[in-house]
Amino acid sequence: MLATISPSVSMHAPIDGAATERAIVIAAQRGSDDAFAALVRIHQRRAYSVVRAIVLSHEDAEDAVQEGFLHAHRALDRFRPDQPFGAWLYRIMANAALDLVRRRKVRDADELPDNIAIPFRDPAESGELRERLQEALTHLTDRQRSVIVLHDVEGFTHGEIGRTLGIPEGTARSDLHHARATLRRLLQNIRSSS
Amino acid sequence: MTDDRWMSGEAELTGELRTMYAAPTDESYWDSLEARILAHVARGADVHGWWSAMSEMARPALAAAAVLIFVAGAAVMHSRQLEAREAYASVISAAPPSIETAARTASSGDGDAVINYIMSH
Repeated sequence: MLATISPSVSMHAPIDGAATERAIVIAAQRGSDDAFAALVRIHQRRAYSVVRAIVLSHEDAEDAVQEGFLHAHRALDRFRPDQPFGAWLYRIMANAALDLVRRRKVRDADELPDNIAIPFRDPAESGELRERLQEALTHLTDRQRSVIVLHDVEGFTHGEIGRTLGIPEGTARSDLHHARATLRRLLQNIRSSS
Repeated sequence: MTDDRWMSGEAELTGELRTMYAAPTDESYWDSLEARILAHVARGADVHGWWSAMSEMARPALAAAAVLIFVAGAAVMHSRQLEAREAYASVISAAPPSIETAARTASSGDGDAVINYIMSH
Protein backbone atom coordinates (compact mmCIF):
# COMPACT_ATOMS: atom_id res chain seq x y z
CA MET A 1 0.00 0.00 0.00
CA LEU A 2 1.16 3.51 -0.70
CA ALA A 3 0.43 4.58 2.88
CA THR A 4 3.24 2.39 4.12
CA ILE A 5 5.68 4.01 1.72
CA SER A 6 4.63 7.61 1.83
CA PRO A 7 2.07 8.32 4.53
CA SER A 8 1.82 11.98 3.55
CA VAL A 9 0.41 11.09 0.12
CA SER A 10 -3.30 10.57 0.05
CA MET A 11 -4.69 8.70 -2.90
CA HIS A 12 -7.78 10.87 -2.93
CA ALA A 13 -6.10 14.24 -2.55
CA PRO A 14 -5.43 16.44 -5.57
CA ILE A 15 -2.08 15.58 -7.10
CA ASP A 16 0.39 18.37 -7.62
CA GLY A 17 4.04 18.27 -8.43
CA ALA A 18 6.30 15.88 -10.21
CA ALA A 19 7.79 14.64 -6.92
CA THR A 20 4.41 13.50 -5.67
CA GLU A 21 3.68 11.73 -8.92
CA ARG A 22 7.09 10.09 -8.83
CA ALA A 23 6.33 8.76 -5.34
CA ILE A 24 3.05 7.34 -6.60
CA VAL A 25 4.73 5.76 -9.61
CA ILE A 26 7.37 4.13 -7.39
CA ALA A 27 4.64 2.83 -5.08
CA ALA A 28 2.77 1.42 -8.09
CA GLN A 29 5.98 -0.22 -9.29
CA ARG A 30 6.25 -1.90 -5.87
CA GLY A 31 2.83 -3.40 -6.40
CA SER A 32 0.45 -0.94 -4.76
CA ASP A 33 -2.97 -1.20 -6.41
CA ASP A 34 -4.04 2.06 -4.75
CA ALA A 35 -1.09 3.86 -6.28
CA PHE A 36 -1.91 2.53 -9.73
CA ALA A 37 -5.55 3.57 -9.25
CA ALA A 38 -4.30 7.05 -8.40
CA LEU A 39 -2.30 7.15 -11.64
CA VAL A 40 -5.41 6.14 -13.55
CA ARG A 41 -7.39 8.90 -11.84
CA ILE A 42 -4.73 11.50 -12.63
CA HIS A 43 -4.20 10.60 -16.27
CA GLN A 44 -7.40 9.07 -17.61
CA ARG A 45 -8.82 12.31 -19.06
CA ARG A 46 -5.66 13.22 -20.91
CA ALA A 47 -5.28 9.58 -21.98
CA TYR A 48 -8.82 9.64 -23.33
CA SER A 49 -8.06 12.82 -25.30
CA VAL A 50 -4.94 11.28 -26.84
CA VAL A 51 -6.68 8.12 -27.98
CA ARG A 52 -9.82 9.98 -29.06
CA ALA A 53 -7.69 11.96 -31.49
CA ILE A 54 -6.56 8.71 -33.09
CA VAL A 55 -9.63 6.45 -33.11
CA LEU A 56 -12.88 7.20 -34.84
CA SER A 57 -15.43 6.92 -32.06
CA HIS A 58 -15.98 7.50 -28.37
CA GLU A 59 -16.52 3.76 -27.83
CA ASP A 60 -13.20 2.91 -29.46
CA ALA A 61 -11.54 5.56 -27.31
CA GLU A 62 -12.85 3.87 -24.16
CA ASP A 63 -11.54 0.49 -25.35
CA ALA A 64 -8.15 1.96 -26.25
CA VAL A 65 -7.81 3.72 -22.87
CA GLN A 66 -8.51 0.48 -21.02
CA GLU A 67 -6.07 -1.45 -23.18
CA GLY A 68 -3.47 1.31 -22.83
CA PHE A 69 -3.63 1.24 -19.02
CA LEU A 70 -3.34 -2.55 -19.10
CA HIS A 71 -0.17 -2.30 -21.21
CA ALA A 72 1.17 0.40 -18.90
CA HIS A 73 0.51 -1.79 -15.84
CA ARG A 74 2.41 -4.68 -17.41
CA ALA A 75 5.30 -2.45 -18.46
CA LEU A 76 5.44 -0.44 -15.23
CA ASP A 77 8.56 -2.16 -13.92
CA ARG A 78 10.43 -1.04 -17.04
CA PHE A 79 9.56 2.65 -16.51
CA ARG A 80 12.36 4.79 -15.08
CA PRO A 81 10.84 7.14 -12.50
CA ASP A 82 13.26 9.95 -13.38
CA GLN A 83 11.38 10.37 -16.69
CA PRO A 84 8.04 12.16 -17.08
CA PHE A 85 5.39 9.52 -16.49
CA GLY A 86 2.77 11.29 -18.61
CA ALA A 87 4.85 11.28 -21.78
CA TRP A 88 5.60 7.57 -21.30
CA LEU A 89 1.95 6.74 -20.62
CA TYR A 90 0.54 8.76 -23.55
CA ARG A 91 2.94 7.06 -25.92
CA ILE A 92 1.56 3.72 -24.74
CA MET A 93 -1.97 5.08 -25.15
CA ALA A 94 -1.24 6.23 -28.69
CA ASN A 95 0.14 2.80 -29.57
CA ALA A 96 -2.94 1.11 -28.10
CA ALA A 97 -5.16 3.42 -30.17
CA LEU A 98 -3.16 2.83 -33.35
CA ASP A 99 -3.42 -0.94 -32.78
CA LEU A 100 -7.17 -0.60 -32.42
CA VAL A 101 -7.44 1.44 -35.62
CA ARG A 102 -5.45 -1.21 -37.49
CA ARG A 103 -7.63 -4.01 -36.13
CA ARG A 104 -10.79 -2.09 -37.07
CA LYS A 105 -9.50 -1.62 -40.61
CA VAL A 106 -8.85 -5.34 -40.99
CA ARG A 107 -12.29 -6.14 -39.59
CA ASP A 108 -14.02 -3.55 -41.78
CA ALA A 109 -12.18 -4.83 -44.85
CA ASP A 110 -13.57 -8.31 -44.14
CA GLU A 111 -17.14 -7.07 -43.87
CA LEU A 112 -19.41 -6.61 -46.82
CA PRO A 113 -20.04 -2.98 -47.75
CA ASP A 114 -23.79 -3.56 -47.35
CA ASN A 115 -23.24 -4.14 -43.65
CA ILE A 116 -21.83 -0.68 -43.06
CA ALA A 117 -24.57 1.50 -41.70
CA ILE A 118 -24.44 5.13 -42.75
CA PRO A 119 -26.72 7.08 -40.42
CA PHE A 120 -28.79 9.77 -42.05
CA ARG A 121 -28.20 13.22 -40.64
CA ASP A 122 -30.40 16.14 -41.45
CA PRO A 123 -28.06 19.03 -42.31
CA ALA A 124 -30.54 21.48 -40.91
CA GLU A 125 -30.53 19.61 -37.63
CA SER A 126 -26.87 18.71 -37.13
CA GLY A 127 -25.36 21.72 -38.84
CA GLU A 128 -23.94 21.77 -42.29
CA LEU A 129 -20.47 22.74 -41.12
CA ARG A 130 -20.20 19.73 -38.82
CA GLU A 131 -21.57 17.48 -41.52
CA ARG A 132 -19.02 18.69 -44.01
CA LEU A 133 -16.21 18.69 -41.48
CA GLN A 134 -16.90 15.09 -40.55
CA GLU A 135 -16.84 14.14 -44.19
CA ALA A 136 -13.69 16.16 -44.83
CA LEU A 137 -11.88 14.50 -41.92
CA THR A 138 -12.27 11.15 -43.65
CA HIS A 139 -10.05 12.50 -46.45
CA LEU A 140 -7.14 12.90 -44.04
CA THR A 141 -4.75 10.10 -43.18
CA ASP A 142 -5.10 8.66 -39.69
CA ARG A 143 -1.94 10.42 -38.63
CA GLN A 144 -2.94 13.78 -40.12
CA ARG A 145 -6.29 13.58 -38.33
CA SER A 146 -4.58 12.68 -35.06
CA VAL A 147 -2.11 15.54 -35.39
CA ILE A 148 -4.72 18.18 -36.12
CA VAL A 149 -6.96 17.04 -33.27
CA LEU A 150 -4.09 16.82 -30.78
CA HIS A 151 -2.90 20.29 -31.81
CA ASP A 152 -6.14 22.19 -32.26
CA VAL A 153 -8.40 20.44 -29.77
CA GLU A 154 -6.01 19.25 -27.05
CA GLY A 155 -3.41 21.99 -27.39
CA PHE A 156 -0.41 19.69 -27.78
CA THR A 157 2.77 21.28 -29.13
CA HIS A 158 4.46 19.80 -32.19
CA GLY A 159 7.11 18.29 -29.95
CA GLU A 160 4.53 16.67 -27.69
CA ILE A 161 2.66 15.30 -30.70
CA GLY A 162 5.90 13.90 -32.11
CA ARG A 163 6.79 12.18 -28.82
CA THR A 164 3.27 10.83 -28.36
CA LEU A 165 2.88 9.45 -31.87
CA GLY A 166 6.51 8.41 -32.22
CA ILE A 167 7.24 10.68 -35.18
CA PRO A 168 9.75 13.51 -35.64
CA GLU A 169 8.56 16.98 -34.65
CA GLY A 170 9.03 18.17 -38.23
CA THR A 171 6.73 15.40 -39.46
CA ALA A 172 4.07 16.47 -37.00
CA ARG A 173 4.40 20.05 -38.26
CA SER A 174 4.19 18.88 -41.87
CA ASP A 175 1.16 16.66 -41.15
CA LEU A 176 -0.61 19.60 -39.55
CA HIS A 177 0.11 21.78 -42.57
CA HIS A 178 -1.21 19.17 -45.02
CA ALA A 179 -4.24 18.40 -42.87
CA ARG A 180 -5.18 22.07 -42.77
CA ALA A 181 -4.62 22.49 -46.49
CA THR A 182 -6.89 19.51 -47.21
CA LEU A 183 -9.64 20.71 -44.89
CA ARG A 184 -9.38 24.24 -46.25
CA ARG A 185 -9.76 22.96 -49.82
CA LEU A 186 -12.66 20.65 -49.00
CA LEU A 187 -14.51 23.23 -46.91
CA GLN A 188 -13.88 26.19 -49.22
CA ASN A 189 -17.46 26.42 -50.42
CA ILE A 190 -19.11 26.31 -47.08
CA ARG A 191 -16.74 28.84 -45.59
CA SER A 192 -17.17 31.31 -48.45
CA SER A 193 -20.93 30.97 -48.39
CA SER A 194 -21.25 31.43 -44.63
CA MET B 1 -2.83 31.64 -43.79
CA THR B 2 0.18 30.17 -42.01
CA ASP B 3 1.07 26.54 -41.51
CA ASP B 4 0.23 26.56 -37.84
CA ARG B 5 -2.86 28.70 -37.53
CA TRP B 6 -6.24 28.98 -39.12
CA MET B 7 -7.27 32.36 -40.46
CA SER B 8 -9.73 34.28 -38.35
CA GLY B 9 -12.66 33.00 -40.41
CA GLU B 10 -11.51 29.47 -39.85
CA ALA B 11 -11.67 29.62 -36.07
CA GLU B 12 -15.16 28.30 -36.50
CA LEU B 13 -13.66 25.05 -37.76
CA THR B 14 -11.53 24.70 -34.66
CA GLY B 15 -14.60 25.29 -32.51
CA GLU B 16 -16.46 22.61 -34.42
CA LEU B 17 -13.53 20.20 -34.07
CA ARG B 18 -13.48 20.83 -30.31
CA THR B 19 -17.19 20.12 -30.10
CA MET B 20 -16.81 16.91 -32.09
CA TYR B 21 -13.91 15.62 -30.04
CA ALA B 22 -14.96 16.94 -26.64
CA ALA B 23 -14.42 14.56 -23.75
CA PRO B 24 -17.38 13.85 -21.45
CA THR B 25 -17.69 16.43 -18.69
CA ASP B 26 -19.84 14.44 -16.29
CA GLU B 27 -17.78 13.46 -13.22
CA SER B 28 -19.72 10.24 -12.79
CA TYR B 29 -18.60 9.20 -16.26
CA TRP B 30 -14.94 9.42 -15.21
CA ASP B 31 -15.60 7.52 -11.99
CA SER B 32 -17.23 4.81 -14.06
CA LEU B 33 -14.41 4.75 -16.62
CA GLU B 34 -11.84 4.52 -13.83
CA ALA B 35 -13.65 1.51 -12.37
CA ARG B 36 -13.79 -0.15 -15.78
CA ILE B 37 -10.09 0.51 -16.40
CA LEU B 38 -9.11 -0.99 -13.04
CA ALA B 39 -11.35 -4.02 -13.61
CA HIS B 40 -9.82 -4.51 -17.07
CA VAL B 41 -6.30 -4.25 -15.62
CA ALA B 42 -7.16 -6.71 -12.83
CA ARG B 43 -8.55 -9.23 -15.35
CA GLY B 44 -5.53 -8.73 -17.59
CA ALA B 45 -3.15 -9.13 -14.65
CA ASP B 46 -4.84 -12.43 -13.70
CA VAL B 47 -4.56 -13.78 -17.24
CA HIS B 48 -1.00 -12.49 -17.52
CA GLY B 49 -0.07 -14.13 -14.21
CA TRP B 50 -1.63 -17.42 -15.30
CA TRP B 51 0.26 -17.36 -18.57
CA SER B 52 3.48 -16.44 -16.79
CA ALA B 53 3.07 -19.38 -14.43
CA MET B 54 2.30 -21.65 -17.37
CA SER B 55 5.31 -20.45 -19.31
CA GLU B 56 7.53 -20.90 -16.25
CA MET B 57 6.30 -24.48 -15.89
CA ALA B 58 6.48 -25.04 -19.63
CA ARG B 59 10.23 -24.42 -19.84
CA PRO B 60 11.36 -27.27 -17.56
CA ALA B 61 8.58 -29.48 -18.95
CA LEU B 62 9.84 -28.88 -22.47
CA ALA B 63 13.41 -29.60 -21.40
CA ALA B 64 12.32 -32.83 -19.68
CA ALA B 65 10.32 -33.85 -22.75
CA ALA B 66 13.32 -33.19 -24.98
CA VAL B 67 15.56 -35.32 -22.75
CA LEU B 68 12.93 -38.07 -22.68
CA ILE B 69 12.62 -38.05 -26.47
CA PHE B 70 16.42 -38.18 -26.81
CA VAL B 71 16.72 -41.10 -24.35
CA ALA B 72 13.85 -42.99 -26.03
CA GLY B 73 15.40 -42.42 -29.44
CA ALA B 74 18.80 -43.64 -28.22
CA ALA B 75 17.17 -46.74 -26.67
CA VAL B 76 15.38 -47.59 -29.92
CA MET B 77 18.60 -47.14 -31.90
CA HIS B 78 20.51 -49.30 -29.43
CA SER B 79 17.94 -52.11 -29.53
CA ARG B 80 17.93 -52.07 -33.35
CA GLN B 81 21.71 -52.29 -33.43
CA LEU B 82 21.57 -55.24 -31.00
CA GLU B 83 18.99 -57.04 -33.12
CA ALA B 84 21.05 -56.51 -36.25
CA ARG B 85 24.21 -57.76 -34.51
CA GLU B 86 22.43 -60.89 -33.19
CA ALA B 87 20.95 -61.67 -36.56
CA TYR B 88 24.35 -61.32 -38.21
CA ALA B 89 25.97 -63.48 -35.52
CA SER B 90 23.34 -66.18 -35.91
CA VAL B 91 23.94 -66.32 -39.65
CA ILE B 92 27.72 -66.62 -39.12
CA SER B 93 27.51 -69.31 -36.36
CA ALA B 94 24.93 -71.48 -38.15
CA ALA B 95 27.24 -72.24 -41.13
CA PRO B 96 26.51 -75.46 -43.17
CA PRO B 97 28.79 -78.58 -42.73
CA SER B 98 31.94 -78.66 -44.82
CA ILE B 99 31.84 -80.21 -48.30
CA GLU B 100 34.52 -82.82 -47.44
CA THR B 101 32.50 -84.20 -44.52
CA ALA B 102 29.37 -84.30 -46.58
CA ALA B 103 31.13 -86.11 -49.43
CA ARG B 104 32.72 -88.63 -47.07
CA THR B 105 29.38 -89.40 -45.51
CA ALA B 106 27.79 -89.75 -48.89
CA SER B 107 30.54 -92.01 -50.27
CA SER B 108 30.58 -94.32 -47.23
CA GLY B 109 26.84 -94.66 -47.50
CA ASP B 110 27.16 -95.68 -51.17
CA GLY B 111 29.81 -98.35 -50.33
CA ASP B 112 27.58 -99.98 -47.76
CA ALA B 113 24.78 -100.19 -50.23
CA VAL B 114 27.00 -101.89 -52.81
CA ILE B 115 28.26 -104.49 -50.31
CA ASN B 116 24.74 -105.21 -49.17
CA TYR B 117 23.62 -105.71 -52.79
CA ILE B 118 26.52 -108.23 -53.56
CA MET B 119 25.91 -110.17 -50.36
CA SER B 120 22.24 -110.58 -51.04
CA HIS B 121 22.84 -111.99 -54.50
